[in-house]
Amino acid sequence: MTSPHVSEQHAEQHADRRTGRPADQQTDQQTDQRTDQQEGARGWAARGALSRLRFTSLRLRLVVVFALVALTAAVSASGIAYWLNREAVLTRAQDAVLRDFQQEMQNRAGALPVHPTQDELQRTAGQMASGSQHFSVLLVATDPGGRTAYGTSGGLNGFSLKDVPKPLRAAVNRQQKVTSANKSPYHLYWQRVVDHGTPYLVAGTRVIGGGPTGYMVKSLEPEAKDLNSLAWSLGIATGLALIGSALLAQAAASTVLKPVQRLGVAARRLGEGKLDTRLRVSGTDELADLSRTFNNAAEALEKRVAEMAARDEASRRFVADMSHELRTPLTAITAVTEVLEEELEMEGGGIDPMIEPAVRLVISETRRLNDLVENLMEVTRFDAGTARLVLDDVDIADQITACIDARAWLDAVELDAERGIHARLDPRRLDVILANLIGNALKHGGSPVRVSVREADDEIVIRVRDHGPGIPEDVLPHVFDRFYKASASRPRSEGSGLGLSIALENAHIHGGEITAANSPEGGAVFTLRLPRDASALTGRPAEEDKDGKQASGTGGEPAASSPSPSAAPQPQPPSPSQEQGGGQDPTREEA
Amino acid sequence: MSPVPSLLLIEDDDAIRTALELSLTRQGHRVATAASGEDGLKMLREQRPDLIVLDVMLPGIDGFEVCRRIRRTDQLPIILLTARSDDIDVVVGLESGADDYVVKPVQGRVLDARIRAVLRRGERESNDSAVFGNLVIDRAAMTVTKNGQDLQLTPTELRLLLELSRRPGQALSRQQLLRLVWEHDYLGDSRLVDACVQRLRAKVEDVPSSPTLIRTVRGVGYRLDPPQ
Repeated sequence: MTSPHVSEQHAEQHADRRTGRPADQQTDQQTDQRTDQQEGARGWAARGALSRLRFTSLRLRLVVVFALVALTAAVSASGIAYWLNREAVLTRAQDAVLRDFQQEMQNRAGALPVHPTQDELQRTAGQMASGSQHFSVLLVATDPGGRTAYGTSGGLNGFSLKDVPKPLRAAVNRQQKVTSANKSPYHLYWQRVVDHGTPYLVAGTRVIGGGPTGYMVKSLEPEAKDLNSLAWSLGIATGLALIGSALLAQAAASTVLKPVQRLGVAARRLGEGKLDTRLRVSGTDELADLSRTFNNAAEALEKRVAEMAARDEASRRFVADMSHELRTPLTAITAVTEVLEEELEMEGGGIDPMIEPAVRLVISETRRLNDLVENLMEVTRFDAGTARLVLDDVDIADQITACIDARAWLDAVELDAERGIHARLDPRRLDVILANLIGNALKHGGSPVRVSVREADDEIVIRVRDHGPGIPEDVLPHVFDRFYKASASRPRSEGSGLGLSIALENAHIHGGEITAANSPEGGAVFTLRLPRDASALTGRPAEEDKDGKQASGTGGEPAASSPSPSAAPQPQPPSPSQEQGGGQDPTREEA
Repeated sequence: MSPVPSLLLIEDDDAIRTALELSLTRQGHRVATAASGEDGLKMLREQRPDLIVLDVMLPGIDGFEVCRRIRRTDQLPIILLTARSDDIDVVVGLESGADDYVVKPVQGRVLDARIRAVLRRGERESNDSAVFGNLVIDRAAMTVTKNGQDLQLTPTELRLLLELSRRPGQALSRQQLLRLVWEHDYLGDSRLVDACVQRLRAKVEDVPSSPTLIRTVRGVGYRLDPPQ
């Protein structure tokens, strides 16, 4: 074929490759971006609120990727199909036209004289154009008078030499050397042009051995229309492929994301402490693998936690059992100690003055031991979570007065409280808290200790302030720690070391709080906050008595607190009639 | 009541039994001891003590069961000695009919005070009687009859009924009742009152689950109402 044709095709191929490249690069970028975001997604996992957003964006990304792949595939496939078709259709049409034109040129224009007249040219052109191919013909020759004569067939609105592109004219009129490879000096050249949106085929050649130059133009509109409709259907097919790929991506995203979502939910449950959370493993894909890994991890975790809990439980059990066991000998010792004590107090008692200090020591240390065991039992009850509230309506001021009265602290404590402030709480536990706070204040701060009661919304605020040196800053965070002694120089005879810790636990079980601080005016301040009504915490109605309906039920209830959450400065013999003067100091330093 | 009250101490631990016997004897009680529930029940029949001090954890039949068996026939006061101060023990003990409880390690003086308080409940004081519907409380004879039938009340139940009947229509708080009946201090266990009220209701009310005589006053305590 001819050279312009070849060069044209080459250019098309080149353009095709160019359009292919950027699409590939785009997909690459997309994948890179995805891995980046997946990395980031791990960070997001913690933020539950964003998880939905994350899922949707992953879904979006999947859809976009699928769509891009589909688009690339469809566009390149239909593009290739289009161009191949186009070439096939156009080539066939133009080959037929050109063959005809060549034929006509040989038969009719070749029959013309070397210098035909205008009329002859006109007629021959008309004859040439009357063939089956419906092209217009323009013949150019030199008439006998030496002028350039033109002969055109009708149609196509006056086909003139102006309509023939100059390069084509030049090519047609260029005489080539006749060689072995090139048998004739002139060739048939053609070119496709577009004029006002309509494609035309323009071709031209010269009759060899002198004669007119013939040009033809043929509208390629029918072919263009065919190709247009082909392009449309390919476009529609591409669109359908896009939609299909989006739907597919959606489905794929769902199959991937649903297990991921399930995994997320399970992980959250696990984090909330529901260690028996397991995933249903279905299939053999990576997600099933992940589920299996999750299950294994959860199982291992559950086992570990159970082991630790069991060990913890065992050691607590041991302390609880131990303190229980200590009680039996202690009961016997305590009873006998009292006999000894009475003997001591008797005028001219039968105790040898030499061993009197020994007896006193036994008595006081037995009491200490009693307190310690009592506190230990109380602590184990809190640790085991078996401590319960026995609620009653309490007048706070009365309770505080009774508490300090029973321990003979009336002279050492200034009470600033109005009567009539009522709260629903466990009077024994309140007593334990107060006795520990006030006892502690007396011990470390010295009298006077000031106790004030204020009401605040649905809270009762009790402040215990002493006039001592205050609590050192480094000790402040530890005052509620078990067995934490403020001063290493007096490790003993300062109580059990559990008092404030028990007070705090007792406040907590009411839903309250105790804070320790130093007053700007000097001295330590312990602030106790208790809710006005703690019945919400006991899990039963505010009134524990339901008009006899509990008659048979009480026995089964895990009800109520220890009979004596005494734990701490307990006025040991709370005997009503006998021991009136005996509100003891918690430390029992007398003896 | 004999001038020197006689007690029966049922306790399986030798050391505690000996020590408490020593201590209580010094406080002026006559003390008999038993090492098991079975022995205790036998001695109860033989000696007719005024009061029983009963350990909860006993070999063989436990303290609760002993308490229940005693209550089937006798209304004498029972004080429980609980070593396991688990809450459930106290509640079960009060359910099975104990009048009071003491937690180990108990001090002799505390136990003595409780014993004396319980024994005082049976003492007469006035000579009138009161009628609440079909319930007749004879304070002179210390008896309560319902529809002419004698009711078997423990001294504690009787004392509770007397204290309530002395102030008919007036609500008494649990803490007040603890002081009046049990002679406990300000930290008395209000469950003693609740358990005793339940037992009393079971005896005096027509339908114990919907009482018409001993009414609960929400947020306060209990009240004895003359029936309308």
